[in-house]
Amino acid sequence: MISAAKKVLLATAVATLPMVLASTASAEGEKYVLVSHAPDSDSWWNTIKNSIALAGEQMDVEVEYRNPPTGDIADMARIIEQVAASGPDGIITTLADFDVLSGPIRSAVDSGVDVIIMNTGSAEQARELGALMYVGQPEYDAGFAAGQRAKDDGITSFLCVNHAIQQPTLVQRCQGFADGLGVELGNQMLDSGTDPAEIKNRVMAYLSANPDTDAILTLGPLSADPTLLALDENGMAGDIYFGTFDLGEEIVKGITSGVIEWGIDQQPFLQAYLPVVILTNYHRYGVLPGNNINSGPGFITADNLGKIEEFAGEYR
Amino acid sequence: MTRDGTFHHGDPAAGKTPIIEMRNIEKHFGSVIALAGVSFDVRPGECHCLLGDNGAGKSTFIKVMSGVHKPTAGEIRFEGKPMHFEDPRDAISAGIATVHQHLAMIPLMSVSRNFFMGNEPERKVAGIRFFDKKRADAVTMEEMRKMGINLRGPDQAVGTLSGGERQTVAIARAVHFGAKILILDEPTSALGVRQTSNVLATIDRVRKQGIGVVFISHNVRHALAVGDRFTVLNRGKTLGTAERGGITPEELQDLMAGGQELALLEGSLGGTV
Amino acid sequence: MTNAAQPAAPDERIKEISAFRKALIRPELGGIVGTIAVFTFFGLFAFDSGMFNSQGIMNWSVVSAQFMIIAVGACLLMIAGEFDLSVGSMIGFAGMMIAIFSITYGWPVWLAIIVTFVLCCSIGALNGWIVIRTGLPSFIVTLAFLFILRGFTIFLPQVLERKTIIGGVSDAAEGDWLAPIFGGKILKGLFTWLGDAGVIATFDRGTNAGQPVVDGIPMLIVWALGLIVFGHVLLTKTRFGNWLFAAGGDAEAARYSGVPVNRVKILMFMFTAFCATVFAVCQVMEFGSAGADRGLLKEFEAIIAVVIGGALLTGGYGSVIGAALGALIFGVVQQGLFFAGVESSLFRVFLGVILLGAVILNTYIRRIITGER
Repeated sequence: MISAAKKVLLATAVATLPMVLASTASAEGEKYVLVSHAPDSDSWWNTIKNSIALAGEQMDVEVEYRNPPTGDIADMARIIEQVAASGPDGIITTLADFDVLSGPIRSAVDSGVDVIIMNTGSAEQARELGALMYVGQPEYDAGFAAGQRAKDDGITSFLCVNHAIQQPTLVQRCQGFADGLGVELGNQMLDSGTDPAEIKNRVMAYLSANPDTDAILTLGPLSADPTLLALDENGMAGDIYFGTFDLGEEIVKGITSGVIEWGIDQQPFLQAYLPVVILTNYHRYGVLPGNNINSGPGFITADNLGKIEEFAGEYR
Repeated sequence: MTRDGTFHHGDPAAGKTPIIEMRNIEKHFGSVIALAGVSFDVRPGECHCLLGDNGAGKSTFIKVMSGVHKPTAGEIRFEGKPMHFEDPRDAISAGIATVHQHLAMIPLMSVSRNFFMGNEPERKVAGIRFFDKKRADAVTMEEMRKMGINLRGPDQAVGTLSGGERQTVAIARAVHFGAKILILDEPTSALGVRQTSNVLATIDRVRKQGIGVVFISHNVRHALAVGDRFTVLNRGKTLGTAERGGITPEELQDLMAGGQELALLEGSLGGTV
Repeated sequence: MTNAAQPAAPDERIKEISAFRKALIRPELGGIVGTIAVFTFFGLFAFDSGMFNSQGIMNWSVVSAQFMIIAVGACLLMIAGEFDLSVGSMIGFAGMMIAIFSITYGWPVWLAIIVTFVLCCSIGALNGWIVIRTGLPSFIVTLAFLFILRGFTIFLPQVLERKTIIGGVSDAAEGDWLAPIFGGKILKGLFTWLGDAGVIATFDRGTNAGQPVVDGIPMLIVWALGLIVFGHVLLTKTRFGNWLFAAGGDAEAARYSGVPVNRVKILMFMFTAFCATVFAVCQVMEFGSAGADRGLLKEFEAIIAVVIGGALLTGGYGSVIGAALGALIFGVVQQGLFFAGVESSLFRVFLGVILLGAVILNTYIRRIITGER
């Protein structure tokens, strides 16, 4: 028994030591923590991780990425409280649910930590919480702009593939798109789940049940990649009008090959990189831009791919 | 072990009125007739052995007696009055306790928790009823001592007891809670020689307290060692009840097997079955 | 043979059991050892990181208390021999029902809370009733409810409010008599005093400037402690506790001894649902909104805490104190790894190692108890 317990303890200690050493050996200086609402399964946030790491390296500050493993916003609130307790110089956080996160964020601000809201949220909410600024793409507006663009292209009906229907921001994208088109959202939003095979099959099932669908809107690589496969399989690839939020390797390929009409790039690189740079300079030299920063929307089409292809999935 | 055994047998039970009397009990499961008219009674202070081969209907019969099954036909009289058991609790509260071969005890629980399972003593503290562990422990230790089992403590888990000791704890429990009839389902079938004799000694002790014991077995020698009367079940029917001394092991053996090939086997095995 | 009638002589084959082995068969042992190990570890690697300042302590205490609330229910249910995989979905569902009742339907918050409790406990009872009536493993039945409840939690708000998060409960709960019992804080005076005395830090700006950073003990923690005490007393000090052990140890044997196994199990399914609802109400009252994603995977976290705390997955053995310590370990490790500067994605690795260690230890303990080799 003693030996068994010893072994477990020893194994744990051995497994832990390198990590502890590795992390304490990182940059000196200011410490910034980025907290997101994304579950572990969402690979889009890899760009964010890479971008803060790059910013951390360039500015010589310590950066860290944190998220609730299942995407539970209540868990995210605890993470913000915890980060605040560890006393960093600044917190960069998404504002996925104002009700839940406003308390912890306000406490962090009040206890002397500077906060920048990124990605989800809005300029008004950031100001209300006492955050320095908001860096991101207003979701409803982006959806609305995309809807107007599609309307100009003659679209009247669409399918919105929503892989995280519990996140209000994703619903806002679909709602904005519908409003931009000038149609009711109704049951054109598909709760696809996050499993690629399920998403693919549900999209195919929807399209065979509703063959008159003009367009497909996906909300990120998580739903776009399986949708691409589904369109390949049922032969609608290139035929149906396909737009997507966010970028990823497969999406870029789809745009190149003409299957995807456009991708809405909210330029996550800027959302992660800029706050670190802004906070560092604010803390070092006291300078702060006077406005919020809209990192998107930018429409990516086959004509303006260039750099995106090169850095897709890494920084773009 | 000789047939006249080391046990002192109680007064001839013939004169006393039976505690329970079961007449022409039938039990059908769909088209299967498990019991086709079995009559059986138990008198106070006797050990009535119910013998039979596997599938003879012993288990079904004791389940009827202990209230698990309702008979399809037949009459049960308990202390002279007609009785209908709705569920096992009815039978238990009437005083019919069953000790099952494998279901006697819960190994992970302590002896004292097992002993009082379903009958926990309670005491009131500030109007709330609590499990009176102190009393449970004391009673358990005392009862176990009486039965000849020395526990390390009342917290000792039943899992650490031997099979024979577990049967004994179960029997002691039934007696403590006022059983008038104790049904023992194959209590010795999985036990070694020494443990078997411990259990048989326990049966003898219980019988002397005036409790009627129903001892189910397919082992003739164990039955003859403690039994006062013997009823043999075969294919759902009784082949009659014999008094102690009125039947030989060979005859019992034959009855159990329905008098078929066993006679032939007997010769080649030298009467040791 | 006759000498067996006298008290038996001590059996020479039974070795005197050492105090160490005696301690081993207490279900809490694993939890106590683990708690000491975890605090030693973080004391060494994360002492100056803020983990042990007032905010840090409050942070892992609250997270642990959340685990504790659902672990108490899961523990008693597991001892009674059943699982409930619908706990996480029940948390989401209960929170959503409160929001729907109080915001969409405009009921007073106290009524919404009470109706939600009744509704969720009824669903718990339904879970139990189906398990008992069909004889199916509770694993499957509650797995079905995991999906059913989560489905409703997403469907209902979409139909009623066209969104998946319903907010504004905080405003609705203003002045309500029942809401503070779940979302309030106690001992505020003490903490203000501690803040003034400089024992704990104070906010240095904003509307709360001068207030202590930790301004009271959340009711969540009070509920956790209350449920632990209740569960522990129920399990070890009452007749019903004995029935719990019996129902989980061997349901048939318990039934033959007159234990109302079905009633015990159904009540425990209800209690588990009750605990999940307490979790949900505390969360909704604290955060002011209910979301369709609340409580994801919490059922496994509850079961993990219970298993770390020494309960057997097969039922019939365990301890509420152990489960509470398991929840504490879980919470402290989850939050502490960040303070220790460990990459957060490695949390699962730690969790797996701890879980495996705990299960191996438990198996070993059971062998000691039952004497099998």
